[in-house]
Amino acid sequence: MIDARSQAGLWPPYIHGWKTSGKASWICVMTLLPIVAWSSALYGRQALEVWISALVASIVAESIASALLRKWTLGDGSAVITGLLIASAMPPGIPWYIPAVASFFAILIVKAAFGGLGSNWMNPALGGIAFAYANWPAAMREFVLPRIISGVDGVSASTPLAFARGLTGGLDGRVMDALRGAGYPLSGVDTAITRFLNDILFSRLGARLPDGYFDMLLGFKPGAIGESALFLVLIGSIVLIAMRLIKVEIPLAMLATFGLLARIFGTGLPGENLFAGDVLYALSGGGIVLAAFYMSTDPVSSPVGRTRGLAYGAATGALCFVFRRWGTYTESVVYAILLMNMITPLMERAGTMPRRSNGKAGSV
Amino acid sequence: MTRVREFRHGGVAVDHRVPYRPASIENAFLPMNAIVVLKDAKVSIEPLPVVSVGQEVREGQLLARSTGKGSANVHSPIPGIVRRIETVTTPGGYQSRVIVISLAGSFSMLGKRSERYLWKSLNKADIAHIIQEKGIVCVSSGRPLHDVMTEHVDHPGSIMVISALEMDPYRRTEEALMEQRTEDVVDGWAIAARVALPSRVIVALDEGVSPEVLQKLTSIMAASELEASIELFRRRFPQDMRGQIANALGMEQTGQLFVLEPSTLVALHDAVVSNKPHIEQYVYVGGGAIKHPGILKARIGAPIGDLIEECGGFLGQPARLVIGGPFRGRLAADLDVSVTRSTRAVLALTAAETRSAPERACVRCGDCVVACPEGLDPFLLLKLLRAGRRDDAVAIGLERCSSCGACAYVCRSRIPLAHIFDTAREGGQVK
Repeated sequence: MIDARSQAGLWPPYIHGWKTSGKASWICVMTLLPIVAWSSALYGRQALEVWISALVASIVAESIASALLRKWTLGDGSAVITGLLIASAMPPGIPWYIPAVASFFAILIVKAAFGGLGSNWMNPALGGIAFAYANWPAAMREFVLPRIISGVDGVSASTPLAFARGLTGGLDGRVMDALRGAGYPLSGVDTAITRFLNDILFSRLGARLPDGYFDMLLGFKPGAIGESALFLVLIGSIVLIAMRLIKVEIPLAMLATFGLLARIFGTGLPGENLFAGDVLYALSGGGIVLAAFYMSTDPVSSPVGRTRGLAYGAATGALCFVFRRWGTYTESVVYAILLMNMITPLMERAGTMPRRSNGKAGSV
Repeated sequence: MTRVREFRHGGVAVDHRVPYRPASIENAFLPMNAIVVLKDAKVSIEPLPVVSVGQEVREGQLLARSTGKGSANVHSPIPGIVRRIETVTTPGGYQSRVIVISLAGSFSMLGKRSERYLWKSLNKADIAHIIQEKGIVCVSSGRPLHDVMTEHVDHPGSIMVISALEMDPYRRTEEALMEQRTEDVVDGWAIAARVALPSRVIVALDEGVSPEVLQKLTSIMAASELEASIELFRRRFPQDMRGQIANALGMEQTGQLFVLEPSTLVALHDAVVSNKPHIEQYVYVGGGAIKHPGILKARIGAPIGDLIEECGGFLGQPARLVIGGPFRGRLAADLDVSVTRSTRAVLALTAAETRSAPERACVRCGDCVVACPEGLDPFLLLKLLRAGRRDDAVAIGLERCSSCGACAYVCRSRIPLAHIFDTAREGGQVK
């Protein structure tokens, strides 16, 4: 009687927690939607087009993969997340085919070719993003100013990170002041909020907050569409952590390591002192927060277990810093996580598998 | 005593909201036909039937005799005529003979004032004999109580745990017995202690136990001159398993623990004091699809359909009908499955409670690692077993798995991990 012999739930336990991989993915999608809305408000059609082309392409790609593997998997939500994350790393106004092709690559090659969700050895979204960087290096690094600053669409500009790299001369003091000194654009909103905070709070503490941080937080600066809403990324991350949907130790270790190294070795500007790096500036650029909470925590390609998660996060943060500080490009976090994805199986083997008599650890 | 005990790692704090009404224990109606299962647990040995088809039996008459270790005597729960002796597959998945008796004749126990023997004059051997004779079965495991006791008798440093900890968020039988039959539980414990001679006794109670129950318990303990430490436990599953109780008490080994639950103690008490064989069972009938959940004192052999009907029947369509707890229970094939001496609960669960979903590939979320009370890596065990590498799975602790079901409860991909590990341990092929 009572569908006792239907496939699912045949074996104990007969009650379960509320989480399913599908639900977890869809909640993650929900936390990304405000970012879509915010970036669309900042860049208009230029951002919306990127989101839509990546999303449509990933859904089409997943459907093709489902048809080929004879397994309907669109419902697990992972394809939608992949599409959204790929779009988040793209600059606004990029030709529509780049996010589309990146999504196809991510889902068909990185995920489906290795056996679908659960078997992919690297994060599909990051694979797609790296693919786009490799094929369209120029288009991926062409940024525009948000409308709120320029007043019109499509005024090209460089990101704060890229701009700061070009600074020369022995500047002393803070990165933000240096940026301002070099004539980097600033929004009226930032000026107002910073002045307000300085007046009521920081001046009493004998400190001063330089202009520019709120532009970083609110996305009033050129950048990828996903990092344009840093404050929404933070809210989304808090939701994911509160619902215990992500391995929280990974992003925390990653951001802590990155911040610490940035404090010690600086952000790569001329004239910077040791142990005086601007951590806030380092963390608010280059999409590292989004990558830490949404990409490095991808369960499939990160190690299981708290200790391993901490090690993995710390290593990712360190690599990311090394790549950004001494490397050529500012999108270092993508390569840092991809590299760590490859090391995940090794990390898991260490300490878990029993040693064989020949002294070698068994493979997993 | 204000300290609340808790096992160190793993386990699940269930988020199912189960309405709790401190239900009174009701007597179930007598079944028209009792289907008496001879084998209460998979590991038990079937006793030999001593009655034949067509024979008239009295209430409490011996139906099948123990063959020794691993089997227990079975008595007739009702007066009547033996209709059939046949082999069936039990919900536990094993074959067992059943004796079907249809109700007829007069009662020798029902409605009569129960006898009261002064058990204190009995010695250890007398009590052990009664336990064997009356076919007392450990309600939690289905193993003969006599077997379980012999393992602990004269064991230096053995600790007896009177555990009123429930096995799931639904059942409240042990708590209810502790509350309503406190004297009998304490008597049963004194009887068991006379045989097992434990070096100390611990009473394990839920942290939410009412002060009245605590006070009643301590005063009865004082009157019976019994000494025990009362420990409170945090509600987290699988709290009732021996390993977790030992862990919560800060013990390294589980071997010295002798866990008895009130339902078994009450059966023991009734056998020794009232001369009743183990023919009654306290069954919790509940779940979201039962109209009036409650505890029924049912005769063994009663079909679960009768019990459900007595609890008001179904409330909507149940998605799953489960015998035993939701973590380690088994599906009931139909409503004719009968109550045995190890049937602790009958649950009719709604789809909202089961939260069943199609099985998907493991996404390595790591929730199972957090949930495992034994500190295993269930996701890795699964991977190894599915790759056909049983030896490696054993090397990372497959044998330590206690099948508590915590990993499968939290599994986001709804992989029946506990079942897969069970199958693998029994040498079966894992799909």
